[in-house]
Amino acid sequence: MKQKTHRAKIIISCILSVIIVILCMSIGSVSVPVKEGVTIVFHKITGTAIPDSVNPSLISILWEIRMPRTLCAFFVGAALSASGAVMQSVLQNPLASSYTMGVSAGATLGVAILIVSGIANTALGMFTLPVVGFLAGFLTVIFVIGVAAKIDHNMQNHTIIMFGMVFSLFVNAILTLISSLASDHVQRLILWQMGSFSGRRWIHAGIVCVCVIVGGIILMLWHRELDIMTFGDEQAMSLGVDTKKSKVILLVIASFLTGAAVCFSGIIGFVDLTVPHAVRRLFGSKHKYVLPMSMVIGGAFLALADMISRTILAPREIPVGAVTALVGVPFFVWVYFHDSKK
Amino acid sequence: MILKSKDLVCGYSKKPHINPVIKNIEFQIEQGSKVAILGANGCGKTTLLRAIGGILPYEGSLLLDGEEVRSYKRRKIAEKLAVMTQLSQLYFSYTVEETVMLGRYLHTNHIFGNPDDRDKDVVEKCLRRNGLLEIRGKQIDELSGGQRQRVFLARTMAQETPILLLDEPTNHLDLRYQAELMEYLLDWCKEDPAHTLIGVFHDINMALSVCDQFLVMKDGQIISAGSKDVVLSGEILKEAYEMDVESYMQKQLSFWS
Repeated sequence: MKQKTHRAKIIISCILSVIIVILCMSIGSVSVPVKEGVTIVFHKITGTAIPDSVNPSLISILWEIRMPRTLCAFFVGAALSASGAVMQSVLQNPLASSYTMGVSAGATLGVAILIVSGIANTALGMFTLPVVGFLAGFLTVIFVIGVAAKIDHNMQNHTIIMFGMVFSLFVNAILTLISSLASDHVQRLILWQMGSFSGRRWIHAGIVCVCVIVGGIILMLWHRELDIMTFGDEQAMSLGVDTKKSKVILLVIASFLTGAAVCFSGIIGFVDLTVPHAVRRLFGSKHKYVLPMSMVIGGAFLALADMISRTILAPREIPVGAVTALVGVPFFVWVYFHDSKK
Repeated sequence: MILKSKDLVCGYSKKPHINPVIKNIEFQIEQGSKVAILGANGCGKTTLLRAIGGILPYEGSLLLDGEEVRSYKRRKIAEKLAVMTQLSQLYFSYTVEETVMLGRYLHTNHIFGNPDDRDKDVVEKCLRRNGLLEIRGKQIDELSGGQRQRVFLARTMAQETPILLLDEPTNHLDLRYQAELMEYLLDWCKEDPAHTLIGVFHDINMALSVCDQFLVMKDGQIISAGSKDVVLSGEILKEAYEMDVESYMQKQLSFWS
């Protein structure tokens, strides 16, 4: 019986998520009716001609703008949530995230240097900022893990977290320094930091999608180690898990996912922190369920947040990071506390 | 000789000899013996257990089946011995059954870690032996300390290793489960002559009823080792606990007369 309700919850959540994503593609300044949408997608995928009855502007709005943007938001949400779940479990800390490990500080510093030095404006192509953002964020975490392993032979969680936070603050200080010295560029930097999915194309969605699939599969192969590591290093070791090796691998993969997400969307907080907690409430703590369900629900949540960010004050867009917190906090409070008596 | 140490130094700083908790100890444990480690708070009992379990780095020599504990891969050592540590804080909650199933980690070879029939049988048995069948679906963060202790005991048993290291297994347990644990451990020892038990006990009577060998520790050193007759002389326990253990025990018994 319990198994059945569990399975039903999973199926319902997946269906709801798909509906949300479809609605997000349909809703906007110009609404694309689902029926037309399906026709467009069908003909685009099969490569056949789209009937004349469909308004051509709808085709480009849906296929070239809204679909890639929504899917990009979905995969970024999936990446952030999976990475958050892993960080919390591996570091045994409900508040840990890639951001505690310095991903955002590092990525922002990299991008800031690029913007301030003017390199970002040269003709290096549209991938300069993302690539630099990804590398800077990712390398920061590698550095944090490396130093933590050096100072603490056993790589205890509090060492990693402490050093990650201290190093993030250090990087942030450099960032503040740069911003104060180059005030002309501050606006652009702040915009990048706030995060947005505006103007995302198929190529962006595709890259994040590949990262999510690869990262997700690797993480799923480690789901039992993740379960065991939430009980702490000592217990994990006595059950036969090489905690040091597992920690390094899992933290690197989680950071890779956040890095891939951050580089195309900017810094979006809240998703990685709260989605895994909500998922644990709904589906239990086993990572066999936590990982995939975090991805599905986190993806749908960010797609929804992005849709709200572009419609609520249309034609103005508000930062998606603000929406995730504004929508997310009440939702999170409800999920996390409503059945705390149970 | 299943365990043999020489000049064993162990501690929590980067280099164990700088601030050692275990100071140059030497002991031998034979396969099939049931060993109790006794001593006052802070004398290094738990640290010794951690060193044997390969959880703490050490200096000197500590041989498990003829090989240095430090040279073992985690998997290999966990196939030989299971450690039940003292309870720690839980951050994410699992059900009782899920937690016990984690003890089958090394036995399950399925790529997605799906348990086979044997895993399920073993878990079922461990749940039953620890009186957990009725609460198998409960979240462990809703349990009392004693129930939780039994869950972790069941998980340790589910590892099915020939050596068990238990750190104060009777902690939090009420009298009934203390008695059941005693029976359980005696049964387990009888099941296979190779089964070796090493436990840290606060309860000397529990140690006496389960174990046949004793290591008495004080200030990071072993002050006495051997059978009951050698170790339980009033003098040695007096030194270890800095009190007259024997007359304390007798005084306690006198309440019943």
